Amino acid sequence: MSTHMLGGITSRQGLTRFFDGYAADRLEEIGKRRLRRALVKSHLIEVLNGSRQCTDAELSALFSRRGMTLAKREEGLFLARGADGAEVGFLERLTSRILALYSVLDTRELCPLVNRLVRHSPELDHVWLSGQTFGVLWRLMVRLTESHRFTKLVFVHERLYDIDTPSVESDEETDEEHKEGNEEDEKAREVREQRETRLGVVDRVGIIDQRLRSLQELYAPFHAISQLRFPSPVGRGGHDFYDNGRVTNRGESFRDHRAHLLFVVRIYQHLLESTERSTWYSITERVGTPGQFHRIVGAPVTIRFQGNGLAPDVFERWVDSTFSTTGNRFRLWGHPIRLGPTKVHVYGVDRHLWQPLFLELTARGCTAIVPKNTCGNTVHRLVTNIQRYVDPGLEAYIGDRSYREVVEESAEGVPYDMQA
Amino acid sequence: MTCKPDDLVRDPLFQLNAVLWLTQPLPQGAEIRPLLHESGFGVWAIAPALAPPPDLQLRAKDRGVALQASTRPDVVIANSERGLFAVTECKASSFGEESSNAAQARSLLVVGGPRCSEVLAITPNDVSGTLVAFVLPEDQKTDFAPTLESLAGALSDAQLFPGTPCILGLLTSAVAISLAADAKGAHFFGLEQEPTQFLPIEENTCPRPLYFIPYDPDHGQSSVEAQYSKRMLFERLLASAVCVAGRAKPPCDLLLEADGMLNDAMFGMYGHWEHRDARTHMRRLWRDFMKALASEVDRAVPGTTTYEPQAGWHVTIDDHDGHKSLLDVLTRFSCERLVVGPAPEPELFDALEDP
Repeated sequence: MSTHMLGGITSRQGLTRFFDGYAADRLEEIGKRRLRRALVKSHLIEVLNGSRQCTDAELSALFSRRGMTLAKREEGLFLARGADGAEVGFLERLTSRILALYSVLDTRELCPLVNRLVRHSPELDHVWLSGQTFGVLWRLMVRLTESHRFTKLVFVHERLYDIDTPSVESDEETDEEHKEGNEEDEKAREVREQRETRLGVVDRVGIIDQRLRSLQELYAPFHAISQLRFPSPVGRGGHDFYDNGRVTNRGESFRDHRAHLLFVVRIYQHLLESTERSTWYSITERVGTPGQFHRIVGAPVTIRFQGNGLAPDVFERWVDSTFSTTGNRFRLWGHPIRLGPTKVHVYGVDRHLWQPLFLELTARGCTAIVPKNTCGNTVHRLVTNIQRYVDPGLEAYIGDRSYREVVEESAEGVPYDMQA
Repeated sequence: MTCKPDDLVRDPLFQLNAVLWLTQPLPQGAEIRPLLHESGFGVWAIAPALAPPPDLQLRAKDRGVALQASTRPDVVIANSERGLFAVTECKASSFGEESSNAAQARSLLVVGGPRCSEVLAITPNDVSGTLVAFVLPEDQKTDFAPTLESLAGALSDAQLFPGTPCILGLLTSAVAISLAADAKGAHFFGLEQEPTQFLPIEENTCPRPLYFIPYDPDHGQSSVEAQYSKRMLFERLLASAVCVAGRAKPPCDLLLEADGMLNDAMFGMYGHWEHRDARTHMRRLWRDFMKALASEVDRAVPGTTTYEPQAGWHVTIDDHDGHKSLLDVLTRFSCERLVVGPAPEPELFDALEDP
């Protein structure tokens, strides 16, 4: 892409106008099956700095440490440039905790860049949309969209630890578009036998809606939704949400794209706050008798696997792989204390955010105790990854409430505001 | 790490953590069945210092009844909606009226009696019933019940108004650990009179749940259980150090200090302990742990740590490589080896370092 395409934009209005025009051009090219430039993509990123109040200056300093400079355009809006000075895109603060990086860079360039940025910054994390969260978003989308509109659902489940021969996990995060295009990877997967599901469905909303529940009952990986397209209400196409917070604009309006980001981000922020409110374990003073009595507050996170759970060898591989390799998918660290063939305790650390997390892992599920100040994102990453790599049909709970119910409650009253 | 369920139910720290789990909100069908939560009970206060009302203390003195000026039950559990409060104490075994535990039991019976609202500083109208629950192995119930009756009877005779005592027994079978409440306990907590399973036991597997409170020097533990508790505490201290180091932005100087790390390891419980000997004990454990950890760090990257008396260990990180090396040492450090290895020798000025 041109490295000077965005430099002249100085306001949100200018940004919207530019991306609107850009998106409309791309949709026209898609119609002619001749896409000449990359689509507009947004990456949703959570900022964690403990105090939850990251000023614009702090944000600039944070990105600068990772080789990205932010030039402020408006309050909460920055032009982002890479270490070589090339334009990356615009960074906008959507809520107090969540940023969107809008870019027209090619996916092959942008995804590794964002992954590296997040990977090396304990203050940043992806927005993690678990299959269960997507399940709730799907229900909302069905209510919002006319049933004849086309949508897309992608189901990805890699039963990573249920394989014939163990392999060393890659330290790099996966990127679907890369995998799809990489023939070498395809060959390697053919040799290493491993249960894996990658299914994409494009059909009318009403048709999928009629069949999805039956499909999920029939085959658990249909619970592992990892991509969902919200059809654009203002024209053709839609907005593809991925489980790691990437969103591709396949519609003709950037305004509409941003409205959808805001819709999902507001739900997600409610979900984070609700998770933290419920799960944080601490010893707190009793109201009314300060300094005198203390109680323990919090609620455990429980994940239950389907049926009889994992086979002992799969459990063993999961634990070994997660706690003996630094580049494990779960990004956890700890020394498992063995309590039996299929039970371990780990007083460990989320090594991405460097926050403590206490886990009991068994063949039938996982119980997590989340100490106070551990970000809610840790819980959502855990649920997302266990659903993706261990059991697609898991049930998750926060305290005695189902995770799905917590997501549904987080979505209540969130405006779907097309004029945002 | 193996354990015998029958030994486990005799460990007061397991008992305390089991009671805490019994009050947690958990989904139906969870491994642990939270029997007390199902009846509306939650943790009202953990290890609160409770003093019998002064007039009762005076009366006890006049009548020659030994009471403690202040007692700390392990936990007060309550159903706030129904105004039910249970002063709860965990014990490894039964004891007699002449035992050193008897004064504590008398004090618990008094603070959990009709004057409980006063002791807990809550409006009398908010309290509809109180109970003093002793959690101990079920096979101790037969021996302990007469002791309790006798202690409560003597307090009544001395007009010290004891609360209703009850015993919550823990028993094991081949498949589960169960809670067996006596008639009074079953009525108060809304439990079955029959033993109710709450923690499954699987073959060759220790049924121990995750511990909220990993260590408490006030609880007498068997050497096996004490070793396990120490391992848990050290793992949690190590996690605290790894978190601090992981978030560091080199070049920088980190301070690993006792209060912060012990509070991290105990959900902030350490900061609320008033028992001086227990705090001193915990700080000694922390120091043993840190000495071993600092020595490993300095072996890998010489000159990284310095100890400042009364402050803690300073860790200097010069650059990205130093940061990486530090994290490498910390994440490879073996708490297991430290626990099973020989105890560090006390040093000349050890006592001076304690608060």
